[in-house]
Amino acid sequence: MGRIARVLVYVTLLAASAVTVLPLLYMVSLSLQTEAESLSASPVLVPRTPVWGNFVELFERAPFADFIVNSAVVAGAITLSHLVFDPLVGYVFAKFRFPFRDTLFVAVIATMAIPFFVKMIPLYVMMSNIGWLNTYQGLITPFLMDAFGIFLMRQFIQPIPDELIHAARVDGASEFGIYWRIVLPQVRPALAVLAVFTFVFQWNEFLWPLVATTTEDMRTIPVGLTLFSQEYFTIWNLTAAGAVLLFLPTALIFLASQKFFVRGITLTGMK
Amino acid sequence: MPKRRHSGLDARYSRTAYLMLLPAIVFFVVFTYLPIGNLLTTSVHSGPQANEFAGLGNYSRAVSDPAVRHAFVITVIFAVATTVGALVLGLGLALLLDRPLRGRVAFRALLLVPYLTSVAIVGLLWRNILDPELGILNRLLDAVGLPEQQWLVTSPLATIIGVMLWQHAGYAMVLFLADLQGIPDVYHEAATIDGAGPVRRFRHVTLPLLAPTTLFVSIISVITGLQAFGQAYIITDGGPAGATDLYVFHVFNVAFEARDFGYSSALSFLLVVVILAATAVQLRYGRRGEVQY
Repeated sequence: MGRIARVLVYVTLLAASAVTVLPLLYMVSLSLQTEAESLSASPVLVPRTPVWGNFVELFERAPFADFIVNSAVVAGAITLSHLVFDPLVGYVFAKFRFPFRDTLFVAVIATMAIPFFVKMIPLYVMMSNIGWLNTYQGLITPFLMDAFGIFLMRQFIQPIPDELIHAARVDGASEFGIYWRIVLPQVRPALAVLAVFTFVFQWNEFLWPLVATTTEDMRTIPVGLTLFSQEYFTIWNLTAAGAVLLFLPTALIFLASQKFFVRGITLTGMK
Repeated sequence: MPKRRHSGLDARYSRTAYLMLLPAIVFFVVFTYLPIGNLLTTSVHSGPQANEFAGLGNYSRAVSDPAVRHAFVITVIFAVATTVGALVLGLGLALLLDRPLRGRVAFRALLLVPYLTSVAIVGLLWRNILDPELGILNRLLDAVGLPEQQWLVTSPLATIIGVMLWQHAGYAMVLFLADLQGIPDVYHEAATIDGAGPVRRFRHVTLPLLAPTTLFVSIISVITGLQAFGQAYIITDGGPAGATDLYVFHVFNVAFEARDFGYSSALSFLLVVVILAATAVQLRYGRRGEVQY
């Protein structure tokens, strides 16, 4: 590659990265500005002195502590549930032979083609009928398992040699013992990808918590923040502070595990 | 004799298998198949309780409803534009990154960051940046003496398409990049020896090898685009004058503002049909471009 071409590649990549990152950096800057700075006619890109108090004020104006707890409980419980069920179901489909296995597998995989939005109205009616609107169980249960996660785990478990499982059976290991001590340890990296991906997606989820919560104290951060900003339309520095709090865990997870993320994305493209 | 013992074992393992599958069977029945059945049932009813049988009334109403037609058309435009954009930007960036570069992993991370943000962040951030009077972009333009822009008024749909691409282009890039890195060098070397220049190598070697990923990205982008909601809900409220009344946003309002569950269920079901049809068409025609080496 010639020198000019090389420079051009770098300039293009730098420009593209500026487009993706600068708005987020501006969000961080905004979260530390005074209200006057955030609205001043001479635009402020870097606050004169960072106003950490914005984060305190945010918690005073909205039940932000509730939002954080709700988000953590909901995304945490769903992630845990995926880690329990996706590999177990994947294992059964990968290593057991039983009547209607293929039919059941297709029935599970077919649910990948059903966008969540389609289930939104009937789930809302169902939750409303059983009194689960505005509860944790109402927010969590629709996402307890995931066809894609099951498919992924099945792909990872299939290559484990059957002899290993048979040998353990001959040795008198229990079925659950085989799963727990032989199968799961082999797919640990895949479990990490599953956990990271599930958590971030559920942490960011918007539509269902918007539909399924009715009082402010049950909202998750994405929904609570959006409705907060509709209420206090011009107090952007506080909205930005909330957005920073919402993004912080994801950003930290990403920093710690870029590899898992990229791996997870390429796995979604697995054919 | 051995055969009988074998089937006996199988029966025992079948029980174990079903036992372990039981939670999953219950889950998918209760949270996917039952809701779809309920959706179909509700869609042939009308009235505030959605309990008056209406036959296909909701469906014929949908077909002749100008607001629905409008929402559908702009949603298709949105989905197609975001798909083409994601393919072009994703592939372009991946090609730039697919070479020995200092800081390649860092660039990949920086370009992927918006994909990790919640649609709430994307929406609130860009609503703020693009606000006609108070947004940072217009205040900057103003400060350097350039005319202010009213993107959300003059070209609202194009603007939220841009915002969608800002968030999703990195996802396509990662998929293309992984694929490019998997192409063995010998293919390009062989083509070079045969006298193919960079453009012909790209067209006749790289592109055909990327066909499965291209197909996958376009299917996912179309599905995501057809279901977009937050962009309209947070940034534009469907406006101005319905210009960004994306289909799912429209259905959301029919369901939860107008409380018309019968009609909104029919509208939901129609979108599933469209999504499945769009996917089937892409699979049918996309497979043609594929090659296996």
